[in-house]
Amino acid sequence: MATEPAAANDVELEELRDRISWLVRLRWIAVLGVFATVAAAPRLLGVQLDERPLHLVTALLAGYNLVAWIVSRFVPAAAQGAAVSYFANAQIALDLGFLTALVHYSGGAENPFAFYYVFHVVIGSILLSRIATYLQVSLAIVLFSGMALLEATGVISHHHVEGLFAEELYRQPVYLTAVLFCVATTLCLCAFLATSITSRLRRREAEIVQLSTSLKEHADELAAAYDELRQLGVQQTEYLHRAAHHLRSPLASLERMLAVVCEGRTGPVSEKSQEMIERARLRVRQMLDLARDLLVLSRARVSSAVSRRDRVDLAALLHDMAAEFEQQAASASVSLSVSCPSMPVEVQADPEAIAELIDNLVSNAVKYTTPGGRVAVVLERRPGLAEIRVSDTGIGIPAEERDRIFEEFYRAPNAQDSGKDGTGLGLSIVKAIVEAHGGAIGIDGREGEGTAVSVTLPAASRVAPSVPVNRP
Amino acid sequence: MGDLTGTKVLVVEDDPDAAETLEIVLKDEGCAVIRAADAQDGLSKPRSEKPDVVLLDIMMPSGTEGFHLVWNLRKDPDEQVRDIPIIVLIAIHGTTRLRFYPDQSDTVYGPGEFLPVQGFLDKPASSEQLKAKIEEVLSQAKTSSP
Repeated sequence: MATEPAAANDVELEELRDRISWLVRLRWIAVLGVFATVAAAPRLLGVQLDERPLHLVTALLAGYNLVAWIVSRFVPAAAQGAAVSYFANAQIALDLGFLTALVHYSGGAENPFAFYYVFHVVIGSILLSRIATYLQVSLAIVLFSGMALLEATGVISHHHVEGLFAEELYRQPVYLTAVLFCVATTLCLCAFLATSITSRLRRREAEIVQLSTSLKEHADELAAAYDELRQLGVQQTEYLHRAAHHLRSPLASLERMLAVVCEGRTGPVSEKSQEMIERARLRVRQMLDLARDLLVLSRARVSSAVSRRDRVDLAALLHDMAAEFEQQAASASVSLSVSCPSMPVEVQADPEAIAELIDNLVSNAVKYTTPGGRVAVVLERRPGLAEIRVSDTGIGIPAEERDRIFEEFYRAPNAQDSGKDGTGLGLSIVKAIVEAHGGAIGIDGREGEGTAVSVTLPAASRVAPSVPVNRP
Repeated sequence: MGDLTGTKVLVVEDDPDAAETLEIVLKDEGCAVIRAADAQDGLSKPRSEKPDVVLLDIMMPSGTEGFHLVWNLRKDPDEQVRDIPIIVLIAIHGTTRLRFYPDQSDTVYGPGEFLPVQGFLDKPASSEQLKAKIEEVLSQAKTSSP
């Protein structure tokens, strides 16, 4: 009956199939309902019905529903949208036919169950297209009016329900006109309302499907972009490693060549020559340090979105590094103490970067503390934070220098005068690492009285056990 | 401090300046020095010379030759070659705690695994550092062998 399929795409088709299954189930209920009503009405209300034809129609209805059920369940899912749509239309049309038959055998135009045509209009508007629904409504009106008029004119028999109405109304023109008009207008209006609602619903559904498709596309794009970014991050880091090698390797060879001459291994060297070569060696070592620090700084600045993040136990890390720190301190005749909690203190971080950070802070502290001084490293767990505090009794940082010491290549005047070497990048590196990890850094202390640097990092959430940091 | 007299050292280094300075220092300590300037030589010399220790510059031109050299030596059918201690020279700051990643074609060691070598030296290594590291590695090799 329908000229256009109601289902335009897969989602709609799937829905239509679901709705058809639902209709079939509904129809089983209708079959039971009809049977029960036909059986109960005479006994409860005392009316007289022509039960045989009614039961026959009900049986046919049940049979038809069985066929519909089989078709809906066992017909392959490859069925086209048009076929499914025709199936839906056919069912609605058949349902109208059966309703008309049932109504005919239980009083015709006098039967209040004529109301039930409305159900089919509503169901139709859910399953069918707008046009198909109106067509089905036309069919309903034709069937009912046809039945009523054929009964009224005696062409087909009237099956009276004794006890329902005192008079025989089915032949009264006024009554017929009123009933037919009511039924026709009710069904048309119902169709209009129901199809308005369902067509809006379908538009919304289509929008949702479109939205979710577009969302998925965007999510895929985002994932691809992130992968690309990650790749870029990896490439950047690899480049930095290679750059480090290409800068440092020749400098290293240079230093060794100068050393070998200086140490007299290639023949006698005059005192002045030795002095000059030693100074040259020193410059080369400074360049080596600079190259290293520049590359570490670049690495620290690689976007935190794409750098490595593991669960790092700071307590275990400090424990591992303690021996090396103690050696460093001992060579400088500085005493070192390391204190950390016995429980793990975990942060989400790049393990190498954190090790670099702590190394920088401790090396600085040892370097700028005179022999006999003290360096203390303290790790503390605070709510939501991990704090590392490195304090020393060294040369300290003048108050007016506090702002500048994080600048690249900047060394405070007292540091420059200390006779110790420095690239001016150590604190820049520390700051870059701290910032990349969403932490904070603070400096305390006064010139001549020592320095305390505290770094706080967000603590990792309590979930899985952490990975110990391996050192070569 | 121990004595390195008579120790046979294979220096695998593509930079001739670096190789020569190593050779000068080692010879002053009484070592016998063999040099290899590329990965190919680096693979054949251990077999032919059976040095006591190998000094290997890990970052030879392509960037991965050094790694593959290590793994190939460790897979060598000759047990003597497999057991030769290797000291890796790296130009990148030693305490950046680098892990070495093999490329996809390598099936012996997984990514992130440490190189199966006995020691690392940061370039430039002083004569003292070089000597100390070789002694350390050799004494470890003695104690671990049956």
